[in-house]
Amino acid sequence: MRTLLFTLCAAGLFGQTDWPTYNGDYSGRRYSALDKINQSTINSLALAWVYRANPGREPQAGGGNNAPVIKGTPIEVNGVLYVTIPDHAWAVDARSGREIWHYAWKSKGGWHIGNRGAAAWHDTLYFETPDCNLVALNMADGKERWHKSICDLEQFYYASVAPIVVKDHVITGVSGDDLDIPGYIESHNARTGDLEWRWYAHPEPGTPEAKTWPSLEAMMHGGGMTWVPSTYDASLNLIYFGTGNPQPVIAGQGRMGSNLYTECIIALNPDSGKLAWYFQPSPHDTHDWDAVQTPVLFDGEIGGKPRKLLAQASRNGWFFVLDRATGERLVSSEFVKTNWALGVDAKGQPIPNPAKQPQKDGALVTPNQGGAINWPSPSFDPDTGLFYANAARAWSVYYLYDDGDKPEGWGGNDRSGYSEAMLQAIDYHTGQVRWSHKWPGNGGGVRSGLLSTAGKLLFAGDPNSNFVALDPSSGAPLWHAGLHASLTNGPITYELDGAQYVVVAAGDSLYGFAMRVK
Amino acid sequence: MFCLAALTCSVLVGQAGPSERQTVDAAAARRGRQIYTQYCINCHGALAKGTADGPDLIRSALVLRDRLGNELVPALKRLPGHKADLSSAQVVDITHFLKEQVEATAKDRNADEPPNVLTGNAEAGRAYFNGAGGCARCHAATGDLAGIGRRFKDAVDLQQRFLFPRATKPATVAVTAADGTAVKGQLVRIDDFNVSLRTAVGEYREFVRGANVNVEVDDPLARHHELLDVYTDQDIHNVVRYLESLK
Repeated sequence: MRTLLFTLCAAGLFGQTDWPTYNGDYSGRRYSALDKINQSTINSLALAWVYRANPGREPQAGGGNNAPVIKGTPIEVNGVLYVTIPDHAWAVDARSGREIWHYAWKSKGGWHIGNRGAAAWHDTLYFETPDCNLVALNMADGKERWHKSICDLEQFYYASVAPIVVKDHVITGVSGDDLDIPGYIESHNARTGDLEWRWYAHPEPGTPEAKTWPSLEAMMHGGGMTWVPSTYDASLNLIYFGTGNPQPVIAGQGRMGSNLYTECIIALNPDSGKLAWYFQPSPHDTHDWDAVQTPVLFDGEIGGKPRKLLAQASRNGWFFVLDRATGERLVSSEFVKTNWALGVDAKGQPIPNPAKQPQKDGALVTPNQGGAINWPSPSFDPDTGLFYANAARAWSVYYLYDDGDKPEGWGGNDRSGYSEAMLQAIDYHTGQVRWSHKWPGNGGGVRSGLLSTAGKLLFAGDPNSNFVALDPSSGAPLWHAGLHASLTNGPITYELDGAQYVVVAAGDSLYGFAMRVK
Repeated sequence: MFCLAALTCSVLVGQAGPSERQTVDAAAARRGRQIYTQYCINCHGALAKGTADGPDLIRSALVLRDRLGNELVPALKRLPGHKADLSSAQVVDITHFLKEQVEATAKDRNADEPPNVLTGNAEAGRAYFNGAGGCARCHAATGDLAGIGRRFKDAVDLQQRFLFPRATKPATVAVTAADGTAVKGQLVRIDDFNVSLRTAVGEYREFVRGANVNVEVDDPLARHHELLDVYTDQDIHNVVRYLESLK
């Protein structure tokens, strides 16, 4: 068996034909060097197969058990796709879409909002379950090797994140925001599952950063969930991920201050869990704008200097470019128009407008709670130098329900209204939107990730159940296929036997498109 | 949190946590509240959120783990300064009260009662309606909006509807096909590739879009959507107060 280490060893490795991690590689760019499918051949791209995930009829414990929806990005290794939904993993033949095995986990509860995918290391597959377990499976037959608890269901944590394997560390994140619990990220030994370290999304008591909370009590119950998988730079030996909203979510009067390390982009040493630097896209968030969107890694020039860069299009509507070695901010800019910030501070972090925090009689805010972007992945295309975000302009009214001294849980909410969806192409040098393609119709937020390729194509889902290929330099739509539902994950691509495939999920189905060049 | 879809966010209730959680017995919770009020409230607070003298019990891992006193009974005997001689039945009642508080917190994203949005000035709202807002171009207080203040049980629903109105008539579309054929009708669906409509006589038509096909959509709500970038929150509250006064 070809080792995974080879395909994982470098971000965007030339010649890579598999899709072995959540983002295809460690960089988070979701850019593929495959080019058999290109602007000249795209109209020959044809549906090769459809795979429908069937978890069976046995009811599972826990909330949110609705019809199965594939929200995870499948990984593809050695001709096999591994795809997940909460409590379930499948191996599917990547050429034919035929099921090889199905693994079902017996749940003890948790919120079944979605599962973002699996990770592979040598011959082991890892995925998280809503009831707080990291499960390791034999990739060949789907038999369980071990499982380890990664969070406390009793405290209303749950698990939905796709793990990432860095060296022999399985990096896991946690979810949950019903109660006021701290977020964290863990490293587990890839062979045994044993816990190696845990990094909490709050500072150590007594440090200067701890002064961003009014009390130890508020800080230790301050949230910051780690909803989205990390990216990794092997040369700097740093992993990068975002942290979610502070708790209580909406009523922030009991946690005055910027609330570190919630709503942050974080750089950690994967061997020790030691913090290298942080940058906070949403200081003192009161809108549930988790800053967990994929920190995308690429090298480029800013101000005439070559830089190792990290870019994030954040849920709050702002785009940031940082030096990923140091965390220095280089660009802060809106990628959709927002109305909640007074400007940026000396660090380049937006300054929240107190008037646009939730109010007893309501404050009209854009973006809404769903955000200008959400968990679906962006893409960076090194050929165009553009960062792509499947975005929304959405408005809602934020209401504060609990104006007491110590709100808990949420203490308020938003009521959504109008939204419109558009694909934004952002020049990372300036943060300016180079082109914007508004999706026709009032489709609201789009829950589709993106994929760019060396075939000069940008793949996306629109709000009308179309899988679309666009020209990445102009945004012109070039090709589409109407699916039975809107895309629910991010597209992937791989090559087998000289044929290039593109695979997307819509609802409970995977659609495999193939370009068979003779 | 991450939403299943933007529109469902507001109605989600807390449903995480273990499936085998203690089911709250309302009568036991009422008894538990009385016992709590007698012995616990001074240190742990009226809502069990803690005080300077005692920790928050809703955020307590021990309380969250507890099932019918299996953790709390020994804890009360172990912890100094606590009421060690409560009967097991009394402690179980307290657990029902505390679990009730936990459940309420986990559902705290839903309002107990509608927020009061009638904080604006009706006269200023009337002036905005007839002036800067441009509302009177399409609407009339004595016409389509007569009695609007009576139509909503809660003013917060009026505020939402004012900001995000439903269309009273469908969007229309005019399509001119490559051969010059022009068709108008109610817009059914539009994307980058196709547009469909229903004509005045009820005929369904679909067109493949292209460079030679002209498509003009007229959305009656477009002006409302533009105003979302214009309103101040004070404008909104003034207009809501004015609309609410149209009884």
